[in-house]
Amino acid sequence: MPLRETGRRMRLRRTGRVPTDARVRHYDELDEDTQVAVLELAGRPRTAPETGDLDDGDVVKFTDYYEVRAR
Amino acid sequence: MTIHINPESEQPIMSDSYVIIGDGIAGASAAETLREEAPDADITVLTDEGESLYNRILIKEYAKGKLPEAPISIHQEEWYDDHDVDLRLNTVVVDIDVENDAIHTHEGETFAYDTLLLAVGGTPQQLPVGNADADGIHHFWTFQDARKIKASVEDADNAVIVGAGLLGIDFAAICGAQDVEAKYLMRGDAWWRYALSEEGAEIMHDAMRERGVEPVFGSGVDHFEVDDDGHVEAAVDPNGERYECDFAGVAIGLNFNTELVEDTPIETEDGIVVDEFMRTNVDNVYAAGDITTFNDLVLGEQAKNGSWGSAKEQGTVAARNMVEYGSETFEWVSSYSITHFDFPFLSFGHPTLGDDSVEATTADGEWRRVALQDGKIVGGVLIGDLSPQSAFKQLMREGRDVSGQTDLLMEPGFSVDDLAAQTEQ
Repeated sequence: MPLRETGRRMRLRRTGRVPTDARVRHYDELDEDTQVAVLELAGRPRTAPETGDLDDGDVVKFTDYYEVRAR
Repeated sequence: MTIHINPESEQPIMSDSYVIIGDGIAGASAAETLREEAPDADITVLTDEGESLYNRILIKEYAKGKLPEAPISIHQEEWYDDHDVDLRLNTVVVDIDVENDAIHTHEGETFAYDTLLLAVGGTPQQLPVGNADADGIHHFWTFQDARKIKASVEDADNAVIVGAGLLGIDFAAICGAQDVEAKYLMRGDAWWRYALSEEGAEIMHDAMRERGVEPVFGSGVDHFEVDDDGHVEAAVDPNGERYECDFAGVAIGLNFNTELVEDTPIETEDGIVVDEFMRTNVDNVYAAGDITTFNDLVLGEQAKNGSWGSAKEQGTVAARNMVEYGSETFEWVSSYSITHFDFPFLSFGHPTLGDDSVEATTADGEWRRVALQDGKIVGGVLIGDLSPQSAFKQLMREGRDVSGQTDLLMEPGFSVDDLAAQTEQ
């Protein structure tokens, strides 16, 4: 999945609550490039270019639940 | 072929008719692709389940009590209306008539097709032991299974788990998350012993123990004991050891749903045999998802795969070839992760195959193993550090011979460039 050309960057923030209206994506659903980004960002105060298959507000299930923030 | 009357010209127009059996990710991705590739086609999806496409890899999170129901659903029924797909829930196919291109259902309905996709998956195997069908003994495959498991495990104090593989460990995680003490009965001396050495497996055993799930090796189930109401109350292993349980989770594998095609000319071999275009030996019948025994272009032989990504891709590829045969091959390196613990686990390719392997502990709690066949990577397992997954998958896709350089694969921070530099020397 190519990087989006939005110029936005995303980060993953650990979250203990999953809203019922959130789109939840398991790590295994993600494209390989996005999986690499999740490995880089999960649990770390880092950002990376937004990827094509995650949106702001999505929740990713990896070793924990992470909310995607894209700005 | 379906004939419609064009109201403007009053001339009949013909559209292709596609029928898909199964609304898991393989069938649903095929329906979505067919609608894109054949905008005027008639598309019908038949499923024996009572709900439309949901996220099968998240239902374990629901059973753990970590996720509500709503985010598990992927396609609301409106999706099918919006995409002009005729979805039939609770519809059991009882016969496939490939001579007359027709499907017959349990309610006597007949669906004619031009092209058929079988995305019928599998059914969990039951242990061939006494009382294996007692109340409180669960198998885990559908969302409805997850609901029953969640309800049952919430009322349980202790549990028994059987099936030392990728599905069985979900039961361990569910028990751990719901504070149920469990005995995980394994026939061998390690969890997933066909893909892990004892060293790698011990990392997983420790994670289970931390959650109150005790692995028991050299065990298994000889029979279950039930109470007067027919509810499971204990598992007895072949050594005569008795393990009390209010709940039992059994995950010993799938029976692939090939009985539908038993009386047809469609070839089966541990599933429905398809070529690299996902077509069976019957020209207008395709298959996708767990059910297929496919021509794995990466491995160079027939293979099976049950991962979400593989099933989704197979559905997409099948649909494109249903519209135009030969348009796209299925060529995929699959992976499957376990995200129950505070470290990640990932298997990729075919880690139980190969004629050689290399493994190493790369740091505390980090372990990896790569399986090789004729000097080429065919699969592997990563625990703790998933960073080399893209490099290993790339080498698999390229079919690179890494003979004589396998030590490099075990280096922390390994990249394909390291190998290339070594090759050029």
